[in-house]
Amino acid sequence: MHLELIDYGIIALYFLFVLGIGLMLKKKIKTGNDFLMSNRNIPLWITSLAFISANLGAQEVLGMAANGAKYGLYTVHFYWLGATLAMIFLGVFMMPFYYGSKARSVPEYLKLRFDEKTRTFNALTFAGMTVFSSGVSLYALAMLMQVMLGWDFDFSIWLAAGIVLVYIFLGGLTSAVYNEVLQFFLIVLGIAPLVYIALHKAGGWEGIIQHVDDAKLHVWKGLSSPEKNPMGVDAVSMVFGLGFVLAFGYWCTDFLVVQRAMISRNLNEARRTPVIATIPKVFMPLIVILPGIVLLALQQQFDGFQLPINASGQTDYNMVLPLLLKKFYPNGLLGVGITALIASFMSGMAGNVTAFNTVWTFDIYQTHIRKNASEKHYLYVGKITTVAGILISVATAYVARGYNSIMDLLQLVFSFVNAPLFATFFLGMFWKRTTGNGAFWGLMAGTLTAAFVHGVSVAEGKGGWIYHYTDFYSGTSQAFTIAYLSFLACLVVTIVVSLFGKPKPDQELTGLVYSLTERIKDPEQRWYKNPLWLGVAVLVFTIALNIIFF
Amino acid sequence: MDRFLDLRFVIGLFFILTGLLLLLYGCFHPQETINLWSGGLFLIFGLFMAFLSFKVKQS
Repeated sequence: MHLELIDYGIIALYFLFVLGIGLMLKKKIKTGNDFLMSNRNIPLWITSLAFISANLGAQEVLGMAANGAKYGLYTVHFYWLGATLAMIFLGVFMMPFYYGSKARSVPEYLKLRFDEKTRTFNALTFAGMTVFSSGVSLYALAMLMQVMLGWDFDFSIWLAAGIVLVYIFLGGLTSAVYNEVLQFFLIVLGIAPLVYIALHKAGGWEGIIQHVDDAKLHVWKGLSSPEKNPMGVDAVSMVFGLGFVLAFGYWCTDFLVVQRAMISRNLNEARRTPVIATIPKVFMPLIVILPGIVLLALQQQFDGFQLPINASGQTDYNMVLPLLLKKFYPNGLLGVGITALIASFMSGMAGNVTAFNTVWTFDIYQTHIRKNASEKHYLYVGKITTVAGILISVATAYVARGYNSIMDLLQLVFSFVNAPLFATFFLGMFWKRTTGNGAFWGLMAGTLTAAFVHGVSVAEGKGGWIYHYTDFYSGTSQAFTIAYLSFLACLVVTIVVSLFGKPKPDQELTGLVYSLTERIKDPEQRWYKNPLWLGVAVLVFTIALNIIFF
Repeated sequence: MDRFLDLRFVIGLFFILTGLLLLLYGCFHPQETINLWSGGLFLIFGLFMAFLSFKVKQS
């Protein structure tokens, strides 16, 4: 793939804008709260798009196109089953506790609801996970630039990391959020022409139906047995593992995304943020999954659309989008496509780094190292933490070089940390009897169970590091199963330990637990401004899509 | 300079410039019509976002 001056010009224009946004916002940053929390003053349309865009990183854009080719339409479960319902649940039921409690982070909510040790455990695991994810984004970017453009691996890593560092360092969370919105439009508008051209070449949807294996063109058909569907999963692990545990664990408790709603101007907007975000989320498969399916149809009709083989001798599905870019985009638009890919990596990385610096500064540094310091001091710490987060991400990127499927790897990590977490939040918010000890030991049991199940099971050559006891059809199936088993372990242990402990008095739980919090009567009469009715409308539409593509 | 703190304007400006670059390049390489189409699309989107920022400012 050869770039010309016009392509480099578009990439340079993008870099100029992201840095310019940071520079313009610099003068608005005076305190730690401005830097890490945007002073809770961001308009609804920005928080909603940032909510989606923070998740629109490398694993989404490259990974989902890869999964589209690998698993076909089954991949839309990550959206229509594994996102929509959980995002609506977050907006309607959980945001009142996060926003109303005035917690500055998800771990801080755990402190208010339970105790310090639960918060610290969550803060440490979350911090580790974010820098890991950030590093994976960086690694994917550098690999892609190396393969596609022949750029030096080290140069790509330091260039991308340097730009993200500068715009976050200057403008803090607001800068990251503003850039995420720009990145969202760039990714959608930059990839949409590619989907259109490739689909046209493949003969439209009719061409796909004629040339792609029928098993890859259904969403639910074949779920009765792992052998009958391309993802190799069973109905229980799909619905309970992905649709409930992983989806709710990620969208309802992961501070990376929840943070975008927590910086809204008021509670109504905080509740509507994830619900409005479901609207682009439902349509996102058109941009990120469809290219993978279209490629399958093109492979059957034309030469030159075969995916390359990676170093471990397997088909490199992560090259779906780069291959289509190379085939269909001329110079000019190619610069836009490459910039869209770069934007997706930087978006994912910046989201993780801003969540990391908030959690580190508020939940670890301010809690355990230096309490009651000035706002200026926490601003300084936030900035230093940003630099440290970027450097750790760079180190992680080099470690991540040994893995092939980015998506499977991330799912695995999320299942270790996030899956049990939703049980803790669910019990904490909806069962006032839950105690701090119950929450803490439940989380420990859930995480250990996840690690144990991975240690005794093998899928696609991974796992079984304790004892090779059983096999899964695919890494995805293994991840889903680990998720729901760790969720159940956390749920059971939390309940049992809580029953033997003394719960907090009711007056300390007001605003933190559903049964002790006054119901919100939203004065807004128009349905589209009411989170509940808007959520119901999106849900009905999503169900209709599931039926159409059954 | 306050205009640059309005994200609608910033996004609009970015897509106007990108659209113009693609249109200009497309004029010199007319065999690749997709550059012209995409450039036009980006330009319209950019103008729409800029229009929104001006409209909100006035109201």
